[in-house]
Amino acid sequence: MADHSSFRRHPHPFSVDLVRWLPTFGSTGRLLAAAVHDPAASSSHIHLLSVSDPSTPLTSLPLPSRATALRCSPSVLAAATTSGSLHLLPSSFDTDSAVSVPSGALFHVGPVRGLDCGGGTGGEEWVTAGEDGRVHVVAGGGDGRVVARRVWEGKGMVGYQAARWASPAEFATGGAGCGVQWWDRRKGDAVVVQCKGIWGHGIVTGMVHSIDIHPSRKHICVVGGSSGTIFAWDLRWPQQPIPLSGVGLDGTAQPVCESEVWEVLFDNYTQSSDIISSASTRILPVMMCSEDGILAVVEQDERPLELLVEPCAINSFDIDPHNPSVSSWLL
Amino acid sequence: MPGVPTDGGAVGTVVPFSREPGDAVAAPPVRTIRHGVAPPVSRVYVSFSSGNLLQVACLGPPIPEGGGGRGAQEVAVGRVVEVNLGGGGSGPGGADVEEEIDEAEMRRIQYGSVPAFALLQSRKNALADAAAMSRVPSVSEHAEWWQYVLEYSKTIGSLLGNPDSLPAFMIDDPKTILKDREKPTSLKASWELLEIFFVDKQLKSWLPERFVDWLADYDSLLTKTENTVYRTLTNFQKKLINLQIVEDDPDYWNGLAAALSVGWLDIVVNMLRFHGSYQLDQMDNRETENGLVEAVAVLVSTMPRMRPDLPTGKLGHCCKTRPDFIKALEKWRGQVNKLECSAFWIQCGHQKTRDGLKNLLHIMLGNIKNLTAATSHWLELFASHFLYIRPFTVGFEGMNHLAQKCIQLKPSTDNSGLTGLLGGILSENPEVVLAECTKSFGPWMVTHAMELLTADNDYADMMLHEERPNIGGISLEELHRLVYAQVLCSHSLTWQIAPTYLSSCLNQGLGLLEILLLKQPIQDNRLVLKTLEICRLYELGNVSTNIMKIGGIYHWKHGRKGTGVYWFQQAHDKVRLDRIALQLFENIGKSVTDDSFKVLISTLLYALSFV
Repeated sequence: MADHSSFRRHPHPFSVDLVRWLPTFGSTGRLLAAAVHDPAASSSHIHLLSVSDPSTPLTSLPLPSRATALRCSPSVLAAATTSGSLHLLPSSFDTDSAVSVPSGALFHVGPVRGLDCGGGTGGEEWVTAGEDGRVHVVAGGGDGRVVARRVWEGKGMVGYQAARWASPAEFATGGAGCGVQWWDRRKGDAVVVQCKGIWGHGIVTGMVHSIDIHPSRKHICVVGGSSGTIFAWDLRWPQQPIPLSGVGLDGTAQPVCESEVWEVLFDNYTQSSDIISSASTRILPVMMCSEDGILAVVEQDERPLELLVEPCAINSFDIDPHNPSVSSWLL
Repeated sequence: MPGVPTDGGAVGTVVPFSREPGDAVAAPPVRTIRHGVAPPVSRVYVSFSSGNLLQVACLGPPIPEGGGGRGAQEVAVGRVVEVNLGGGGSGPGGADVEEEIDEAEMRRIQYGSVPAFALLQSRKNALADAAAMSRVPSVSEHAEWWQYVLEYSKTIGSLLGNPDSLPAFMIDDPKTILKDREKPTSLKASWELLEIFFVDKQLKSWLPERFVDWLADYDSLLTKTENTVYRTLTNFQKKLINLQIVEDDPDYWNGLAAALSVGWLDIVVNMLRFHGSYQLDQMDNRETENGLVEAVAVLVSTMPRMRPDLPTGKLGHCCKTRPDFIKALEKWRGQVNKLECSAFWIQCGHQKTRDGLKNLLHIMLGNIKNLTAATSHWLELFASHFLYIRPFTVGFEGMNHLAQKCIQLKPSTDNSGLTGLLGGILSENPEVVLAECTKSFGPWMVTHAMELLTADNDYADMMLHEERPNIGGISLEELHRLVYAQVLCSHSLTWQIAPTYLSSCLNQGLGLLEILLLKQPIQDNRLVLKTLEICRLYELGNVSTNIMKIGGIYHWKHGRKGTGVYWFQQAHDKVRLDRIALQLFENIGKSVTDDSFKVLISTLLYALSFV
């Protein structure tokens, strides 16, 4: 089991919505990207922070509205906003060379919460899925421009809340009341499988907030959503999602939390307690953060391991791929 | 009365109302709002949203059907503008606090104090329930109550510290007088003062010494303009670098006397070692002088103190019981007297050393004139009385009397909130204490300090819990909590902790909580989910259903039909869902040729089928 490291707290003058580790190293060590919002000035920015001194931003990229999604690829930092625009910042962090796709009829109108990088031939294509029911794939045009191709126009019939690439041609999305969908670009940009999810006793349906797909087991998604629900979806048995945590779910350990699970990530560092038979049947440990202030590691049929319990909500967290450390940001 | 807007001026100012002539209050400021609605503006709606945001909806006349000239440009028929009326003042801290603690720090303190407050309230409720059921007041539980309050007090006190202000790497300079410590804040000082005097029952027998400790930590905060022992010492420390002959400087002896009078014995002994007679080349000539200085240093370091123990590094001889202390004091005073009358003084060559050391001896003997001359502020004189003149003063009446005497001897014009607070505490007046907290330390302090005041004080308990008709039938405690909750709600980063305080207000709390939740914006799904979580925690089912319905209609009307249906499902709004399902069936039946549209509708129906 992961042993508890110490937590450092840094009070910040603004509301921090999202935080991600950056794959590159700065001159003073590891870097974080944080999407912040200043309620007094009603302005939103992406701040680049150094881990050794997180209170002063090294660079700052202004956004037209509040950030709703933040993701890093090895060379680009991308942020999507509540008005529907997408902003891409290259790894040189030169704010002048930031490219953006504006919101509107050609792109998204409304909050874009599903954002991920990893599709296409070079793994540099971005998928965006918004609450307006549209799904786009954004790729670099080669000369610094970006081209957004519409994959799906939902006309508002569905509202997407999360998206994740599984392979260069497949990705998963999840939304409000419609469960999770698996898309395959080779089959004409369509949904090939979908699943309503398993939401717990007495709860009809819920909102999916976050999806993660393990890089080495691409047929398994782990999904976090409302009412403390976390379940795993194995594509080999698409109509039988595996519950990991939830209120009133039979066959699971006690629920780790009862409110919205904002983010889930596969935890590469927690040793699975049953290493011998972890061949392909068990779901690997998953870390989650929730609205009632809990950051914990959940494993199938095990007691959840709470890492942090706060009196306020934990909005976002990220696991550093180079180091077993987690950064989490609170209200 | 509000004036009717004139013929829709181009900018759209809201006309201020006119007051009676001769009214002393200045006319309210006028704000210009840019709303972009083409004139004439036929209707204006105004309402307060969360916090300081005012929402103004300006509507133009409705466009006639089939109106001509549907050009490429869209004409705004109506617009809602948010005006931020906030700016300055009414933060959670009072006058003294806002200068010392910045907003992010204050927010950290506010968030940290929520679990401690909630725990104490739940313990209080548990006690009250147990008492109601058993009908016999459980004496043992009441006796334990002060321990719960002490735990609460210590938790919050630890939040108020500022460990980051310590320099990371401290070089031990032998010539430092005052060591670098974490920067004190008056919020922490006042909190500790309340804890010492109201809560900590273990301290009762050695309260004066505990007060001396408090003064040692917070002497720097007593006044901004006048002199204090701390200031005297810091000024001398700056001089010390350039001084060649330390014992010739009168500030050296003043500093020594000042430090001794408030009981900072370790500093006195340290400073005495700066005396020139310790230098190796002087040792032979000034042997007697050095002997006298060393003798005084030894006497200072063995001074009897009426307390069970001392923190490391501090000096003195601890006595746990009164008879022990009296015996030790007599013996010690005898030694001081003997030194004072000894023949060595005649042999001491240096005039200033002789006078300075004798002054120190007189202070140790409790000579009021020397003490008054050595201290700068009445609180320091007050503390020195406890050390040298009346070490057994414990009752509030005795202390108050002593305090009045000290104020007369050293009147002070620049009073910080701390001195006013102490005055209120000693005069056993909870109203003054609360008033001082409100003025100088703000609503956070008042709300949390009320628990300390009522820990063991029946009068304060009654005063705070009595329902008063002149403020609408609520108690003073509830009033202060509501004020604090209001401050929390006015800032978008702290409104989520206001429910903890509102739910502890028995009369009006839940009603105000419902209003607060219903006023939260519903455009952002995440924010709605946060609001609904609070509804779930406080079991406000009908509020959450209303919010979900409003959210559903909002999303449906703005084209996000899927999200709208989702919210209706969550609200179990069968009526609207049935109507939607009917509408969609009809759409499929009609001549809709677009296959993809059919697919979409069937997706929606699939979702609907799980109602």
